[in-house]
Amino acid sequence: MSVVGECLVAFIFGSVVGLLVQRSRFCNTAALRDAILFKTYRNTKALLVAMMILTIGFTTFLTIGDGHPMHFDVGLNQILGLFLFGVGMVLAGACTVSTWVKTGEGNVGALWALLFTFIGMFLFSLLWSYNYWPPAPSAMTGEPNLQALQLGYSNAATLQEKYGIPAIVFGLGQTLVLFVIYRAILRKERGQSSGAASN
Amino acid sequence: MEFFRKTLDPVIALAIIAVLDIFMFLIVGAWTVGGGETMMTGLAAQAVLGEDLQRIPFWNLVFRPDPGYWKIYISLGMLFGAFVGALLSKEFYLRYPRHLSEWILITVGGLLMGFGIRLAFVCNVSTFFGLTPEMNLGGYLAISGIIAGAWVGSLIYKKILEG
Repeated sequence: MSVVGECLVAFIFGSVVGLLVQRSRFCNTAALRDAILFKTYRNTKALLVAMMILTIGFTTFLTIGDGHPMHFDVGLNQILGLFLFGVGMVLAGACTVSTWVKTGEGNVGALWALLFTFIGMFLFSLLWSYNYWPPAPSAMTGEPNLQALQLGYSNAATLQEKYGIPAIVFGLGQTLVLFVIYRAILRKERGQSSGAASN
Repeated sequence: MEFFRKTLDPVIALAIIAVLDIFMFLIVGAWTVGGGETMMTGLAAQAVLGEDLQRIPFWNLVFRPDPGYWKIYISLGMLFGAFVGALLSKEFYLRYPRHLSEWILITVGGLLMGFGIRLAFVCNVSTFFGLTPEMNLGGYLAISGIIAGAWVGSLIYKKILEG
């Protein structure tokens, strides 16, 4: 596909996502924060349903060698980076999606958060240019590199290649785990509502 | 139109987004936001610094500024779609954080998000809607990080709420 075609597809996808997120008030931050702080799960359930659909969809296509999976080595930087991100999103009251969506609704605070997300990225680029960690994509080998705190590259497709078991089988296992969590939340909600009714 | 009068069930919204994301996965790659934001940062920095940006190796070895990077247009699309949705549902109006403390929290939160995304190579969207459904090891590492971070962030937030 041409560059223009890719950008057009991305814009159309983004527009539909923006519209649906705006109309549903879905928020990834709330999916985690509200479950931790307030024991409410409106957004958590939506996140789990999406992850179940995606796991089945992605692993089905990975089984037949289709799709464009993300390809880079992973390691300690994912834990540290998303830890900082998790703290930041709760403090800012928005994640990457809601900053764009709320900005589209006229929320100046969200625009401010976006501006400082960009500044945070630029500051990281300065630090990276000093210590060169985590390794640049061109230096990644796909294998563990413990010196650089990297564990290499693995996903459902590499599991299929290594063990000869179709990727979808692993996908169904993950979907089952997500479904168990989803069902536990539904049970908890039923318990909360019956507790409230008896009070 | 009913769609613009009532709030949509987020489970339905996210189920539709997930199906569309599978098409994206087949065409160009799964939904992501952080990569596009980084490229926008690079393009903005290039506009301000010009040739001097080349003196920062990150913008040569990791992200070379390129306006044709498709991930940028997901973010711009989200902005456009949300604007249209807010306008048609009469929910568009300018709103500002009321207190100085809110401005400070948003500033610190924004900086942490930007720094964290680049350190991890992924954002929350890639974590939940890309890496983990692909069963990439990085997805599980990132989820453990973001849950721990959200927990610590929630404790800080609670402390601030309680005064």
